[in-house]
Amino acid sequence: MGQYRAWLEAYGAAFLDAAAWTLGVAVAAFVCALIWGALLFFLRLNGGPWAARTVDAYVQLLRNTPVLLPIYLIYFGFPLVGLLWPASICGGLALVAQNGAYICEIFRGGYKAIDRVQHDAAKSLGLMPWTAFRKVTLPQLLVYCIPALGNQAVLLLKDTSLLSAITVVELTMQAKVLTERTGAAYAPFLVAAVFYLFMVWAIEFLTRLAQRGVRWR
Amino acid sequence: MKQVWQKIFARAWTTPAPLVAALVLLFSVAAAEAQERSRLDEVLQRGSLIVVTLGTVPPFAFKDDKGELVGFDIDVARLAANALFRDPNKIEFVIVTSDGRWPAIESGRADMGVGGTTVYPDRAIRVAFTRAFIDSGISIMVAKSAGIKSLEELNQEKYTVANLNNPQMADRAQMFFPKAKIITFDTPSGEFLAVKSGRAQALQIDTPTADYFAATSATDFEVLPTLLTASQNNGIYLKPGDFKWWLWLDTFVSELRTGSLYPRYAEIYQKWFKKDPPPQKFYLPPAR
Repeated sequence: MGQYRAWLEAYGAAFLDAAAWTLGVAVAAFVCALIWGALLFFLRLNGGPWAARTVDAYVQLLRNTPVLLPIYLIYFGFPLVGLLWPASICGGLALVAQNGAYICEIFRGGYKAIDRVQHDAAKSLGLMPWTAFRKVTLPQLLVYCIPALGNQAVLLLKDTSLLSAITVVELTMQAKVLTERTGAAYAPFLVAAVFYLFMVWAIEFLTRLAQRGVRWR
Repeated sequence: MKQVWQKIFARAWTTPAPLVAALVLLFSVAAAEAQERSRLDEVLQRGSLIVVTLGTVPPFAFKDDKGELVGFDIDVARLAANALFRDPNKIEFVIVTSDGRWPAIESGRADMGVGGTTVYPDRAIRVAFTRAFIDSGISIMVAKSAGIKSLEELNQEKYTVANLNNPQMADRAQMFFPKAKIITFDTPSGEFLAVKSGRAQALQIDTPTADYFAATSATDFEVLPTLLTASQNNGIYLKPGDFKWWLWLDTFVSELRTGSLYPRYAEIYQKWFKKDPPPQKFYLPPAR
């Protein structure tokens, strides 16, 4: 037991640093993915048939490929066209690209779950399209979407571990580095797992708060 | 009727309880005994050697064109199997990534590990090493287009160096080019991609591996003439605490490097590095 304490004292700070990276990338990527997903959803809904087809193709492409591919493509590919962006930005971008596609589908599913009658009722009340969206569609959309969005946030958080492949020293990379330094087989990965677990709990807690916030009263 | 069922249910719970307790006791005694038993006995009983290794570090351990695992360290492992069973093929390889080596040893999945693995004091706290069976230098490979000619030139803020995620590389980067930016990968292929794509201008790698790549696939790279380290000990690693097994492996390495197995050692050294190995003993003339 003593050796583990000594170990944590020596390397604990490195883990905190790595956890900050994981959380930072995850939060930034999720916020951007929400915006990107919402944009895609609006485009698909109101952009005409060609926009809808393009968005569909995009969603299919990104949902059906492992996210490691866009991560590699952006990180190793962008320098070839002269864009030497930092690894965390490149990786974050790839996560946004894929999670945006998922979130677009979550919004679409939520939108479809809203009864047609609701839209007709809004129209018959003479609400302008934006007001109808804000007052009628959005509140219901959020009710349907928030649990799925919470899940997506958890998935995104766990996917940040893939950024270890492109030199971002987040939790997984830090665990790998410390395993390599100390020859400790399990301890670093267990510590990383505990960090992930707490972060997932936090996300679940926030999801529940948000769910309560949008509940019908 | 209900009562009957309840009785049966209750009996079903209580009857096996002493039996389970006895079994648990038996297993724990067996486990304690198993711990005292050396891995050497287990290997001999099994009749084959399980070796954890890497698959991406030519010429130590890598997959050749036919997809077969080959290399100097692989041949060393086969010599060990030969010494144990008089058959170099009584061996099973477990291929992992660099940070998968320690769990494979710790969990007992493999008897020993070999393959471009550096003896390092930080690691030796939790992993046991034999003495070194080969001396590997560490080189810097640079992209020819970067025009870097020396280590001093590399030590500038405008340059990025790709490392592997091992402690030796991190510590050496700190020592030799503290001003350069460091990025860390978990595979050599990541390092090479980084330099090829222009993310980094140089990478650290074992000298034999650098020479191998420079001669084969990486012709747009150059190996800097100065070594970061002229000597780095590569050894066989195993789970610590098993004196009998460690002693056998260490004796094997000693025989390989300086004793009865030296001719075989010289043979595989020539095969993979195209030069003579260090002399058997410093006071002996080179064997011919």
